[in-house]
Amino acid sequence: MAVEPVLLAEEIRFVGPASIGSPVVLDGVRFAVGAGEVVDIGGPSGAGKTTLLRALARLLPDATGHLALRGVSADEIAAGEWRRRVTLLPQKAALRPGTVRENLLLPWTLKLRGEEMPPADGALAEALADVALGDIALERDGSRLSVGQAARLALARTVLTRPEVLLLDEPDAALDDDSAAQVAQMTARFAAEGGAVVRVRHQRIDGHATRRLRLSDGNLSEVSA
Amino acid sequence: MNELAGGVIAIGIPQLLLSTGFVVVVGIISLRLALGLEKDLAIATVRTYLQLIALGLVLRWVFGIDSWILVIAILLFMMGAAAQSIIKRAPDAPRGILGSSMITMLLTGFTVTFAVTGLVVQVEPWYEARYVIPIAGMVLGNSMNGIALSLERTFADLDARADEVLALVALGATPWEAAAPSVRVAIRAGLIPTINAMAAAGIVFIPGMMTGQVLAGADPLAASFYQIVIMLMVSAATAIGAVLAVMLSYRRRFSAEGVYLERGYRDE
Repeated sequence: MAVEPVLLAEEIRFVGPASIGSPVVLDGVRFAVGAGEVVDIGGPSGAGKTTLLRALARLLPDATGHLALRGVSADEIAAGEWRRRVTLLPQKAALRPGTVRENLLLPWTLKLRGEEMPPADGALAEALADVALGDIALERDGSRLSVGQAARLALARTVLTRPEVLLLDEPDAALDDDSAAQVAQMTARFAAEGGAVVRVRHQRIDGHATRRLRLSDGNLSEVSA
Repeated sequence: MNELAGGVIAIGIPQLLLSTGFVVVVGIISLRLALGLEKDLAIATVRTYLQLIALGLVLRWVFGIDSWILVIAILLFMMGAAAQSIIKRAPDAPRGILGSSMITMLLTGFTVTFAVTGLVVQVEPWYEARYVIPIAGMVLGNSMNGIALSLERTFADLDARADEVLALVALGATPWEAAAPSVRVAIRAGLIPTINAMAAAGIVFIPGMMTGQVLAGADPLAASFYQIVIMLMVSAATAIGAVLAVMLSYRRRFSAEGVYLERGYRDE
């Protein structure tokens, strides 16, 4: 019997704005990811990979189609709750002014997590070490981090929230090879612990993807190994 | 010396022409320096003449009629014009904020104007046009600038923070949580000119209303009391108006599911 996917997307359709000629960006995409999987999505620039991740996170106004999380339709899950469980990390790390600690704890300042206990400093330091930022102090000013460090801090923050599906948009685009390798290992560990990961990436194959897909002409296709 | 009119030295046609002469000089300077301002200056001068003379005539007529319905109708007209002006001055704001801008001007305009005329100045009857209309004009005119500034800044700042707003919403933030930093910056920006004007009043410049009263023969101390009331009420009106206008409109930049509608995802 087939394992039920954590996240299932069917007939996802999105037409770009009229100002650029209403191009069909997503043309009835079907996609599923299961627990423990790391799915890589590649494809030419402008093919709509970021758009697809946004649609999966319910962050794309006007996208149509059907989404389900562990068999429950998106219609029955509030948008905020959905994004707590299916979390997109956008390519541009957007940190708030404040310390590294304040940035890591930002999700626990939101109403959505009002009841949850925020992680303790030990867990924060561990999360930083997981993304090769072990030498960064929690008191450090977040605005003084490099682009690559900010990207990893944002990744650490998202992983700390323990989503069920992690959607990563170019997670290693701004990273050197060593940091990228460490981030990839952390991502693989997240999947091994039962999470589902979808990565949009351009970089060479890093050996951590369990499946690779290609988005072109508005549709996904399997890439053979 | 010109003849006195109700204790004021009257200005006649020759004086009007003399002051117009100064504008003509500015026009000549503009031509010589190729500033390209002659046409704007000419139009603005003609408009000043027409609008203010029309205002004088209308006020003279209104003061003579003594009708509360007429006073309220004029206030409504002024508030509508202020709401329109706010929208024009906030080009980054979403379409369809005329309603919230109108509600803001109505609430702020009526509350603050009648607080001044009813509670502070204690005008009898409550609709006395000689007090209500000029005070409403000052409250609306001054608070409108701050409100427009706050609105414009809110939506410009949200666009500048679009990546951060997306990241916040992706983490589960509500539209308010994602927009709050922009809203705070914007309301502050809208209030700063009013606060600066309060701080500079009496030292750097003599405020318009006080100038008018002193020219009209009022006791300078009595005029200063009036001016204090007006400045405080204008700053209150600006603050209340800016908060109201921004709170009533920021949500329009988010979809029903709470996604920020960045450029390319919204009707423009």
